[in-house]
Amino acid sequence: MSFLLTCPNCGRREVEEFSFRGQYRPRPAHVESFEVRANYVFFETDHEGKRLERWYHSSGCRRWFLVERDNNADPRSFWFSDLDRP
Amino acid sequence: MNVRNDDSPHLPARRGAVSGRGERAGELDLTGSRLTEHPSVQVPRDGLSVTLFWNGKPIVARPSDTVASALYAAGVRIFSRSVKYHRPRGLFDNQGLGSETLVTIDHEPNVRADRRRVEEGMWIEAQNAWPSVDFDLMAVNDALLPLLPNGFHYKMFHKPRWARRFFDRLIRRAAGLGTIDTAGHRTETRYEKRYRFPDICIVGAGPAGLAAARAALAHNRRVLLIDDDLQLGGHCAYSPVIVNDCDDRDLCGLSEQMAALRLIDSILGHANLEVLLQTTAVGLYEDNLVVAERGTELFKVRADSVIVATGASDRHLVFADNDRPGVMMARGVERLIGLHGVKPGRRAVVVTCHDRGYETAQMLRGAGTRVAAVVDARVKLPSIQIVSDLHNARVPIYGGETVHSANAHRTLRSVTTGDLAGLQANRTISCDLLVLAVGFKPTLGLLSMAKGPPRWHDERQIFTVDELPRGVYAAGDVNGYGSFARLYREGWEVGIAASRGQASPVSVREGSEMIMVLPADIESRGEKHFICKCMDITRAEAHRSIAEGFDQVETLKRYSNMEMGPCRGKTCYEAVARLAARDTDQGTGRPAAEPGMSSAAHSSPGRPADRTLAEVAAALFQPPCAPISLGVLAGRSRHLAPIRRTAMHDLHVQAGATFFGMGEWQCPHSYGDPQKEVQMVREGLAIIDVSTMGKWEIGGPDALALIESALPGRFGDLAVGVMRHSTICGKDGRLCGDGMISHLTAGRYYISTTTGNHSAMDSLVEWWITDRGLDVHYRNLSSVLASVHVTGQRALEFLQELVDIDLSNQAFSHLSCGQAMIANVPIRLFRTGFTGELGYDIHFPAEYGESLWHYFLERGEPHDLKPFGMEALRILMLEKGHLIPGIDTDGPAAPCAAGVGFPVGDDRAHLVGKAFLGQFEARGLDNNTVPYKLAPGAPIPPDGVVILDSGAIVGRVTCSRMSPTLGHGIGLARVAARLSAPGCHFSIRLPDGRDVEAEVLAGAAYDPDGVRLRA
Repeated sequence: MSFLLTCPNCGRREVEEFSFRGQYRPRPAHVESFEVRANYVFFETDHEGKRLERWYHSSGCRRWFLVERDNNADPRSFWFSDLDRP
Repeated sequence: MNVRNDDSPHLPARRGAVSGRGERAGELDLTGSRLTEHPSVQVPRDGLSVTLFWNGKPIVARPSDTVASALYAAGVRIFSRSVKYHRPRGLFDNQGLGSETLVTIDHEPNVRADRRRVEEGMWIEAQNAWPSVDFDLMAVNDALLPLLPNGFHYKMFHKPRWARRFFDRLIRRAAGLGTIDTAGHRTETRYEKRYRFPDICIVGAGPAGLAAARAALAHNRRVLLIDDDLQLGGHCAYSPVIVNDCDDRDLCGLSEQMAALRLIDSILGHANLEVLLQTTAVGLYEDNLVVAERGTELFKVRADSVIVATGASDRHLVFADNDRPGVMMARGVERLIGLHGVKPGRRAVVVTCHDRGYETAQMLRGAGTRVAAVVDARVKLPSIQIVSDLHNARVPIYGGETVHSANAHRTLRSVTTGDLAGLQANRTISCDLLVLAVGFKPTLGLLSMAKGPPRWHDERQIFTVDELPRGVYAAGDVNGYGSFARLYREGWEVGIAASRGQASPVSVREGSEMIMVLPADIESRGEKHFICKCMDITRAEAHRSIAEGFDQVETLKRYSNMEMGPCRGKTCYEAVARLAARDTDQGTGRPAAEPGMSSAAHSSPGRPADRTLAEVAAALFQPPCAPISLGVLAGRSRHLAPIRRTAMHDLHVQAGATFFGMGEWQCPHSYGDPQKEVQMVREGLAIIDVSTMGKWEIGGPDALALIESALPGRFGDLAVGVMRHSTICGKDGRLCGDGMISHLTAGRYYISTTTGNHSAMDSLVEWWITDRGLDVHYRNLSSVLASVHVTGQRALEFLQELVDIDLSNQAFSHLSCGQAMIANVPIRLFRTGFTGELGYDIHFPAEYGESLWHYFLERGEPHDLKPFGMEALRILMLEKGHLIPGIDTDGPAAPCAAGVGFPVGDDRAHLVGKAFLGQFEARGLDNNTVPYKLAPGAPIPPDGVVILDSGAIVGRVTCSRMSPTLGHGIGLARVAARLSAPGCHFSIRLPDGRDVEAEVLAGAAYDPDGVRLRA
């Protein structure tokens, strides 16, 4: 990994400044079965195309944000609060 | 380090015993091997003032020499032995591309001798040969085994099984290159990472790179110019060719060498220019990251634009015994003359196919080498001045021929030439130097990393990379051979385009600049036609690999290891791609044949119709595109992480404290004797700086909701002024920390945690807030507040004098918290007891750190108050059986392993790790962390040793110390659950092999009932 990533707060920075913390998926409700919740915690699916990821600006402003990454396009960063906006 | 004398302990015993067989009298005429002038190029004139040692033999050299040129001038022709057949190898490209010049210098293995400047006293040893490079017994491989096919040692030696081990040892000894210095002579070497952020990074300081730098500097850009050579100028640094029609009129009429010098003068010293010489760009990554290596430094260069002007190197020609010492690249010979003033040989044969080869021949003659013949592949010789000059000098020129084989006894004796197809040999010419001037192939390593593999460019007869990502430009010979004027213009135009962020201008070449390729292999007789010299792969072996099914260039490369040697394909990629395309037929079903040369002037008889390589790609270049030491990759970059020091750090230094790192923090380890410091606490009163602990404040309407959804415990009933211990779990229910939750004022909570996982906790709290979307006020006060812990039975008595609130047991009992003032400084006060004694945590603004620390020590003097360090604290906590999550537990530890219960029938909708907390309880525990004690007088095991039960490993010691209070060893151990009950015994294995018996304790070894805490 050596690309530049945009922090919604700080702008384009070296990816080394950030921590990648896995894919972002809606968390299952606590009434769901143990299996569903265990799958949520322990398994991630890898696929080509767009994916939503959790990133943390660990050596910067220490804010969490989302990045939509695509194998064939530049990454797009935004806040969690903007998740439902187009 | 480099200055040696005869009794230096580093010198091998056999020094002096090596007689240098290759340099027998009469074999080489060394008189006049050093030039002081040359008719067409400037040569260095410095005297022979540096002494170095080649296999123990002293050699004198010029300060301007490389190790290779010094050795060559001293008559050394065999530099190394090849990796597989142990064939002798000599100077070849003389610019650090291939494996031929790898030597060990001052215990550093695999140094490219043609890239290292000489230094006084250098101790140079040949590699991969026994007993010596000139007489290598392992060269029987070459004589006895006609072919060592790929994977031969897997195929041949796998049965019987017992023999495998024996052969393995033998093969390991025979194969490989240099030997790692396991004796540790070079342990002082440090590797560093460095960072640069220029506007434009130019790789390659030849005419194109220099012109691009000039253009970019004229456009006010900050330029970083990287070149892997020892001097600027690229191939022009030693070229006698006269510059014509250059855009810069001042350069016209000069030799390329002079023009380059003038060009360098015009930019050197510019405020916006940084030049890194002897720096090899090894990778080009996303968003224009250039990674370059200089000795022990790794540069990471992030540039707006990258201009790749890596130039070209001489083509590799494949023919019989083309690896013999004495066979050299044209530029290698020119470098010897122009850069180092070394006469390359006595009698030379120049093999060429283009006009530039005649310049090399003339340069050789100027250096005093007799040119025995020029062998031009073209039937129709060019009618240019230099050809008639050679004619007049009675140099025989043979048209329509090329070299068939190099005939050698260790070093070159003669060459046989003949037709291009290799069918009919015409003559054998005696010589000690064969110069290959058969055109140039672009150095595509970096460019190919950008978007895709190199493709054959039929018109220019080279492989090129056409599709480049945004911000990457290519200029100069890397786009195909060009005259100085062409390269200058291309560099200038690209420099302007990069400065302005425009698209790259189209690269143009004229007909006179195209150099036709010779057949990829001159298919003359003889077995050993080396395609890849680094890995010792011949055409015959490549055939065998293809027959085994590896018939695509990428799979062939991986299976046969071609292109994967030290040259990383720079020497052989073109030959590999063309021969792979030819020999595999690329799956078209049609018989493949040679493009270019053969289809043009020289159709080879008896060969089916030729086809072009248009659809053929070379194998993709992988980073690094030059050999790079693992140390450089692993080098530290400590400046990327902060070093945190507490507000009182300088006072601890003055007090003579020793420090240790805990996460990012520097903690005082002790002020002298930790054992005495423990006794101080137990005897009455001491103070410790605990500013390194994590501290957070959470307030706002949803504060309680946040804490309850994040921590296993319930805190709704936590009264104001009271604190409670809690574990902290990850989303998988595993233990990741612990801390104290204090209810400071109504609705305002304060969390303090151990030092180690402070950063991790911070990201976790931030995540909880972000994720839940809760309405809370959150402040990380870890560095804002300093904190000290005052502990001991006289702590109350001492502190009551200082604070303005009632600290009596009734008013401020164990686990109380509150706010107060000390010396007019607002403090937060917490009554805890992790030392096992009465104790108070005092948190206050860090800017008062030094003054309050002074104040405590001053006021404490009558009470005999002294500071203690973290090591004493660790022993104190051990005596109480307190564990530190992450140190005394391991990754899979469940919270209940820390002795902490949690509500199973919990009704919370959100609780981190809830799905798994119940599972742990239901499943039971495999391992437990338990306190143990040793018998008095028993030795104290070091941390981390294993625990045995009936000979089987059942756990490990996580922390082990001598308890000065109890007078015997104590510790914490992670052991199998069946051994974790109080009273169980297990044995601890010491490093010296002895065992120590330990007994599991029920709880704290010291004051198990906690009487002293509450007293």
